[in-house]
Amino acid sequence: MDLLENYKKAWGNQPEETEKLTSIEIYKLAHSKSSSIVKWIFIVGLLELAFWLCLNLLVPESFYKVYADLNLEKQVMFFSILHYIVIVIFLYYFYVNYKKISVIENTKNLIKRILNIRKTIKYYVYYNIAIVFLSSLIINTFIISDTDMLMKIMNPDNLPVSVDKIIMITIISQVIAIIIFMVLLWLFYKLIYGILLKKLNRNYKELIKLDEFN
Amino acid sequence: MQKDLETRFLSDFETNQNIAHKICRIYTTNKDAHNDLFQEITIQLWKNYPKFRGDSKFSTWMYRVALNTAISLYRKSTRRIKTQDISDFAYKIKGHEYDDTEEKQLASLYNAIHHLNDIEKALIFLYLEDKPYKEIAETLGITSVNARVKMNRAKEKLKNILNP
Repeated sequence: MDLLENYKKAWGNQPEETEKLTSIEIYKLAHSKSSSIVKWIFIVGLLELAFWLCLNLLVPESFYKVYADLNLEKQVMFFSILHYIVIVIFLYYFYVNYKKISVIENTKNLIKRILNIRKTIKYYVYYNIAIVFLSSLIINTFIISDTDMLMKIMNPDNLPVSVDKIIMITIISQVIAIIIFMVLLWLFYKLIYGILLKKLNRNYKELIKLDEFN
Repeated sequence: MQKDLETRFLSDFETNQNIAHKICRIYTTNKDAHNDLFQEITIQLWKNYPKFRGDSKFSTWMYRVALNTAISLYRKSTRRIKTQDISDFAYKIKGHEYDDTEEKQLASLYNAIHHLNDIEKALIFLYLEDKPYKEIAETLGITSVNARVKMNRAKEKLKNILNP
């Protein structure tokens, strides 16, 4: 007889769990709070959506003075509205993807759906980073092309510094700020999602690997 | 209506709770983790019970939900362990009429299963529970052919651990 068949017999004969739960205990367990990966991804996702929304809303009024100085108010208004529409679309997809998760699906589809939520959030973050990047690029182009404006914003005290130097300082400081921001963000994602998704990614790869072999 | 559903769920679950315990024993190696996973499985079963149509047996449905919970939803990593002492093995068997050699076999079987990855654990578990390939493939979302190939590999791996 096959070695495993022996063990299978022992498996079949194993006694039932000695600490059997009663109906009341099962009832209590069933109504307790879940702490599943999906729930954590949902919470982290919501926090991220909120984080970027707060950043958008918390930009100080004085910041918009730059737009007024540059006569860009109308364009900024238009893009802000567009921006919020895009955010609402992301929220909608986030929710739809979350609702689609069902533990009664097969394992492969279930993991795929969980990883899909993560993807929605990832695109949302990419989108926001792109917006930050693009808008600062546009504003900077406008400012730098107008040297009077540049001097007014970057050198309000009229220190004796040349325009070239001011341009250099402006560009370098912006690039450094963006790099620091990106690195912090990247570390944050690696950490949070690394912890949350490590197991899922591993199991999904294991299932996918099966299909690729044959 | 809700009360009715609850009563049915409790009786279904009570008679089949051993399935959940076996899955917890496979995917966890200590009592706390066992209880944690058992709790999560219970929550998921109850949450999804209204969607249980009754066109399959409750136990069949339970295998799927419980395994999915262990593989995909359970937060703590059920990462493979490198070494494990049979003496700290969480599984304790009571009762004197129980065959001693089978008891030892069972202990080393659980011990060996703990060295498999999450998917292999599911495959071996369903094999031990005597499930047909069709059901195993459907549960995991892979083709029957692949289930067979992967099963053979998992069995080989298990045999090597049991009998090095």
